[in-house]
Amino acid sequence: MSDVLLQVSNLSKTYKDKNYWFNRKCVTALEPLSFDIMAHKTLAIVGETGSGKSTVAKLLVGAELPSTGHIRLNGQSLEPGNFKQRCQHVRMIFQDSGTTLNPSLTIEQLLDEPLQLNTNLNETERHQLIRETLQKVGLLAEHMSFYPHMFSGGQKQRISLARAIILKPQVIILDEALASLDPSLRSQMINLLLDLQQQMGLAFILISHNLGIVRHFSDEMMVLSKGEVLEFGKTADILQKPKHKYTKRLIMSQRFQLLHR
Amino acid sequence: MNLIDIRNLSIKLQTSTKPIFAVDRVNLTMKEGEVRGLVGESGSGKSLLAQAIVGVLDEKWAVDADRFHWRGNDLMRLSAEERKAIISKDVAMIFQEPMACLDPTTTIGEQLEEAVDVEQLTGYFWQKRQQRKLAAINLLHKVGIKQHEVCVKSFPHQLTDALCQRVMIAMALARRPMLLIADEPTAAMESTNQGQIFRLLASLNQLKNMSILLISHDLENVTHWTNTITVMYSGQFVEAGTTEQIFNQPYHPYTRALVDSSPKANRMIPNKSRLMTLPGSIPTLQHLPIGCRLGPRCPRAQQKCVHAPKIKNFHSHQVSCHFPLKDNYS
Repeated sequence: MSDVLLQVSNLSKTYKDKNYWFNRKCVTALEPLSFDIMAHKTLAIVGETGSGKSTVAKLLVGAELPSTGHIRLNGQSLEPGNFKQRCQHVRMIFQDSGTTLNPSLTIEQLLDEPLQLNTNLNETERHQLIRETLQKVGLLAEHMSFYPHMFSGGQKQRISLARAIILKPQVIILDEALASLDPSLRSQMINLLLDLQQQMGLAFILISHNLGIVRHFSDEMMVLSKGEVLEFGKTADILQKPKHKYTKRLIMSQRFQLLHR
Repeated sequence: MNLIDIRNLSIKLQTSTKPIFAVDRVNLTMKEGEVRGLVGESGSGKSLLAQAIVGVLDEKWAVDADRFHWRGNDLMRLSAEERKAIISKDVAMIFQEPMACLDPTTTIGEQLEEAVDVEQLTGYFWQKRQQRKLAAINLLHKVGIKQHEVCVKSFPHQLTDALCQRVMIAMALARRPMLLIADEPTAAMESTNQGQIFRLLASLNQLKNMSILLISHDLENVTHWTNTITVMYSGQFVEAGTTEQIFNQPYHPYTRALVDSSPKANRMIPNKSRLMTLPGSIPTLQHLPIGCRLGPRCPRAQQKCVHAPKIKNFHSHQVSCHFPLKDNYS
């Protein structure tokens, strides 16, 4: 229904060991990988620690420079140093919302920061936009003058979501953003994310190890292990007929949780 | 005989104005050889309850109970020393984040040797050192660590999370407890490692007939491993029964919501559909609702719910609700 939103080709990352001048050792964090995402779609990235899934996220938001490869958004190449362009369109939500919000700023100041840096709106327009965004994620306009410590865990996660969507991005990266929430708050958050995806046509990149959420939430999934792509395809296909041994083991290890006696 | 029998246990925090009941009249009974899950979201007081059983709460928390029996002994009537003697002999506890709980400055071997019970060592004093070492290695074998030589010499940071948790379990086993309290033993662990730890606990339960109180915030993670489950919400008792009863026929609206909200449990739901949730969020300790604490979020709440409900018992399936969902299943 729509064309390709984010196009990643041949992306890879190697870290060099700086201790040795001669005979430098290279650590490959990520083998070359390519994928496309459409608007309204979700890509899930699954893997163990050290599989390179967080490296993908860092490369996409521009926190790390890729060794090889290109990232294209709407056909336009995302340049490594051009943060203004990237911050507008690719946003990220982190795992621990409690520690990623600056405790000394009010919610209004927190949400104002990305607007001041990336847009030319004046003060009243910014205020209005913050008010609208807070309502969109299910918070009240009065919450603007609150500090992060006055909120519960689920509300903090909503604030990080508000900070992510306030610039009307096209891609949001969720780096284990749902893992630390309580079950009832987690399903609220999933509902909210799905609603926003429908309204705004967002594309999500979901990094998670909970296959239940992956199954429910994503259209396509990618299984990573030690920086290599083992499987990539439709979520339903992979979960029903895993081809690789590693994927089978991953599914089996969570299968016992699915079955109840 | 019941291993542990707790009736109406309350834990209150004394504040300057009025006391706050962090845990409000909770019941818990465990039989020998039983694996019981204690499920509740954050702030439900499940860890406080566990700490009250072991008796490691601070002075600022006041514990009182109508009945607090350990194998027929009333613990509330014993002095602190007697109580400590009984509990430290029979009950052991393991915590979440095993890396943080082990001493980072000493090796695993030394820490294990420290935990070995003196009474189990026989022989003269010059033999004891060697015996202690052997006992520590035996403990490691019991929890399935085969390369004991490497493990004994290493520091906690050199081992993986799952190995550290195994070492913690080994320490807990040192005094051969009858009850092991596992407070979220697999939080922040990979799913493959989670399986290992749960399988180890299950095998200990079967081989040594050790009872386990498995504390978790996620209902779906524990259902495979438990015989019975107790659910708590915001410091109040919600529901208790066998795993099948809780999972297939929950009587309490809160348990129903927990079961329905997990995307894993009901695999029938279509992709990207809305999940069932309760409105609102978990109340904080300062602003607890009166009566049934689920009241403001409950879909079935009525005027009666401002009074705390009495516990109803349907064939050993206990539920604390004025309007249980009993008639929905027939």
